[in-house]
Amino acid sequence: MKPGRRLQDTVPAWLEAHRDAARRSLQRRLQAPVLSLISIAVLGFILALPAYLWVLLDNARALSAHVDHDPRIALYLDGVEAATVADLERHLETDARVERWIWIDADEALARYREGLADPGLLDWLDENPLPDVVDVVPATADPETVAALREALAATVPGATVVSDDDWVRQLNSLHQLGLRILSVVGALLGLGALLILALATASELRERREEIAISRISGATHRFLRRPSLYGGVMTGLGGGIFAGILLLIGIGLSRAPLEQAAAAFDLELGLSLPGATHLLALLLAGLLLGWLGARLGSGHALRDAP
Amino acid sequence: MIRLQRVTKRFGSASEALSNVSLRVDPGAMAFITGPSGAGKSTLLRLIAGLERPTRGRIRVNGHDLDRLSNRAIPGFRRSIGLVFQDHRLLFDRPVFDNVALPLEILAYRRPEMRKRVRAALDKVGLLHKEGVNPRTLSAGEQQRVGIARAIVHRPVLLLADEPTGNLDPALSREILQLFDDFNRVGMTALIASHDLGLVERMGKPVLHLEDGRIEARAAAGAPA
Ligand SMILES: Nc1ncnc2c1ncn2[C@@H]1O[C@H](COP(=O)(O)OP(=O)(O)O)[C@@H](O)[C@H]1O
Ligand SMILES: [Mg+2]
Repeated sequence: MKPGRRLQDTVPAWLEAHRDAARRSLQRRLQAPVLSLISIAVLGFILALPAYLWVLLDNARALSAHVDHDPRIALYLDGVEAATVADLERHLETDARVERWIWIDADEALARYREGLADPGLLDWLDENPLPDVVDVVPATADPETVAALREALAATVPGATVVSDDDWVRQLNSLHQLGLRILSVVGALLGLGALLILALATASELRERREEIAISRISGATHRFLRRPSLYGGVMTGLGGGIFAGILLLIGIGLSRAPLEQAAAAFDLELGLSLPGATHLLALLLAGLLLGWLGARLGSGHALRDAP
Repeated sequence: MIRLQRVTKRFGSASEALSNVSLRVDPGAMAFITGPSGAGKSTLLRLIAGLERPTRGRIRVNGHDLDRLSNRAIPGFRRSIGLVFQDHRLLFDRPVFDNVALPLEILAYRRPEMRKRVRAALDKVGLLHKEGVNPRTLSAGEQQRVGIARAIVHRPVLLLADEPTGNLDPALSREILQLFDDFNRVGMTALIASHDLGLVERMGKPVLHLEDGRIEARAAAGAPA
């Protein structure tokens, strides 16, 4: 404890020191507004790109969830033995995942088919009925995973049968979505790394401008923590600014691409809207900016101060 | 306060900047280091301030063994020292007040106390009326006095000055040395490097003469360790 300083002064003094560091950092930024804005803009663009891709992906997934369909599983029992068919019937009776099921007899199916033809005599050319018996299963739930599990269970019961479920395209869409997320996280990580390096460089060059002040401060007993404090505040400010800018860019981007996207979707008979990201997602964007800003400043200042005497 | 025992400092593979230097400065004393340019005066002061580490030998300053001082302990040690440079090293991006306040900011002084101390320091060097101006607009003598105010504002126990009168005319130089004498009178130990032997001798203080990295003459307070 230095003479003239009391214990109860230490916490307010610490707060004051932080406020000073923040104020000084803000002043520094206001003195070079163009440079500061460029940092914010760069971070904003870097954050906005993956955020925009994410919104597109999220909406694409919503598309598959919105589609109104009762999933069906069809079993084509071509050349399946009678014993196996009995197994299948027992399974269909007991499996809770099955809502109901219809047995379409091959002869019955052929008869119905014949009715639909303009010239039923055509089918007389056939020696035997080419149609297999078909079991049409309606699952109790539309949940893709349950449906897939049921489909596998049925396929296991009748090894010879061809099993087709009409939610195949949903699962394809889902796996495409997973792929999209994977690509997005790689792109996002690379862009984040780039942003981190840019912010670290900006911080290091800012500290290089302050090097005489830093040298004098070191001689006067300043710690590295004290010296990098304004830079960390600067990083947080840039990060927040970048996050806000990214949010604005994202909203503008969605606003601009909404109408053309809906038109394109309509051409494919799809009802696809582009919904705006919620407050949570915008907040996440802000936090991502803040974290990148802080981390970049921490890296840059750590590097720049490493050689400070 | 300061005690060097057979201290040698070598930069890279060059010849020794200091060779086997031993000296002692007692608490409350005031002493001068003289010697031609390149004799090792600055190196000696930088070693004492903990800005350089000795190649060999022991340095004790204000109760700290400098060779055993950890990196973490260095800032705390430096806060007990005031340093004055020949080229004053003021920051031209801020007014006189902020320049002088720098060591107090590092010590996390609160505003009112900081203001009081900065004013007191500026008053001592006769520049209270200049607290708001940019140091760039000051004369060389005034700039040096701001540098001195910054060195003593946190009331260090030891004041080190490296050719503080180097750029000043004789009258201003005497004025500056008189300031150091005043600080010494109120208890600050002072060690001042200067190549101006005539000026130094008139102060009537112990003088250590450095020549080619070696102590040549020994005087009372700078007795051999
Ligand atoms: N950082 C350094 N690197 C290499 N040589 C140095 C360094 N500092 C001082 N020297 C050398 O040490 C010797 C003493 O220098 P210095 O202490 O500055 O002398 P003075 O201050 O008495 O003029 C000189 O030969 C100088 O070239
Ligand atoms: Mg020198």
